[in-house]
Amino acid sequence: MVRNRDHALRPGEALVNVTWQGQNGDLRDPVPFDAREGDLKGWVSEALRAGEIPGVHARGHVDLRDFVVDRFPPTAQTPWPRIFVRPKTPFG
Amino acid sequence: MLETAVLIDLGGAPLYWHAPAGRSSAAIPDSRALWEALWLHRFELLGVAHTHPGSGVPSPSCEDLTTFAAVEAGLGVRLVWWIATMQEVVALRHIGPGRYDYGVDAQRFGAERSGWLGELRRLSQGGAVSRV
Repeated sequence: MVRNRDHALRPGEALVNVTWQGQNGDLRDPVPFDAREGDLKGWVSEALRAGEIPGVHARGHVDLRDFVVDRFPPTAQTPWPRIFVRPKTPFG
Repeated sequence: MLETAVLIDLGGAPLYWHAPAGRSSAAIPDSRALWEALWLHRFELLGVAHTHPGSGVPSPSCEDLTTFAAVEAGLGVRLVWWIATMQEVVALRHIGPGRYDYGVDAQRFGAERSGWLGELRRLSQGGAVSRV
């Protein structure tokens, strides 16, 4: 079990951070680090629509189809796994 | 020719040059570093310019349009999206009503008078980043 200020994470779990409409926050509950991208986007979308991500107030339609998922293992500075849901940035 | 991008501030000056490994004449790959630069500069950001190969009038690819929409959704602001070839440049903005409905803005937002357009083209021809 790893603890930070707000969460207790079991082995294999990660915190999920999302950036949406210029705001940034973490899902209240940890998720499996290896969760499928589609599932992660679904959970985050649902939480955004419900206003359940502290610090993020979603306005209008929430659609994460063009967002991507970055996964980072624990580090010395952040001793728990992190998942970030962010806009994609490629150009073609 | 290597596609290259640059973030432009509200005063028309370059904020961040993006010439990552893996870029090609056809594409610039997804980059967390670019997203972090966009987020860092979000309060002073006018838009993003990138290059396309050739010299004709450019038009956005499907990849471009979906990136424009994603970045604007993440930042919560509308931006100017320039696309430059070696001889032409266009500035696009969201015109709606659809998520991916972007149109050419006749103003071009000073691109042709700027110093960054020439530097962007130089980097797209394989030049090294000399300033950030």
